[in-house]
Amino acid sequence: MAKVLIPTPLRQFADKKDSVELDGATVAEVMTALTAQFPTLRKQLFTDEGKLRSFVNVYLNDEDIRYLQKDATAVKAGDTLSIVPSIAGGAQ
Amino acid sequence: MIDINKQAWDLMVAHAEKTFPNECCGAMLGTIDGDVKSVTKAVAIENSYTGEQGARYELRPEDLLEADRQARANGMDLIGIFHSHPDCDAYFSKTDLENSCPWYSFVVLSIKSGKFDHANSFLPNADQTAADKEDLTWPKS
Ligand SMILES: [Zn+2]
Repeated sequence: MAKVLIPTPLRQFADKKDSVELDGATVAEVMTALTAQFPTLRKQLFTDEGKLRSFVNVYLNDEDIRYLQKDATAVKAGDTLSIVPSIAGGAQ
Repeated sequence: MIDINKQAWDLMVAHAEKTFPNECCGAMLGTIDGDVKSVTKAVAIENSYTGEQGARYELRPEDLLEADRQARANGMDLIGIFHSHPDCDAYFSKTDLENSCPWYSFVVLSIKSGKFDHANSFLPNADQTAADKEDLTWPKS
């Protein structure tokens, strides 16, 4: 089981839980298990084409999965997945 | 609506004024009760934009992850993000919108000639095409 930390604003789509324990051998499997359990969460994280939304980053423990094996990154029991948005901006 | 307490507000304004004429950024932590978000702690985060920072900011996701961990460790929630607009009004620009996230409140502080002028809070939509203004209160002193 890996633990997925749910950001505060998304807990309303996850039975108000702040974290969820899920099975899965890869990041993709864990994320699929997450959105299978909480279907309304899916729209928040994925586009209609099934890609992670552009501002959504997934961290395995302290590492951005983009710099590991992305979706295919292996997940071990006791690992923690975090969902972290990319945020930037500017006055102009 | 979002209410910011004195301790958090003082840090946000001080960080924005100190960073002038560049844009600053940071995270807001606190609690949510129904429709009321109460910010009780603000965390200054380094602007990681790699160009001219006078009109741009960027948050490293790792820094945001750290702010979220701090919130969880203290029984608080990550509620929002703040940044400043040096010598500009506190609007939500096209750049702000296109690089936003629909999950958080975005507080913009207008800093004019190095001093706080006014602030607004925004709630961007999931498609990054529009942002609603949110009622914002802070201690007026
Ligand atoms: Zn801005």
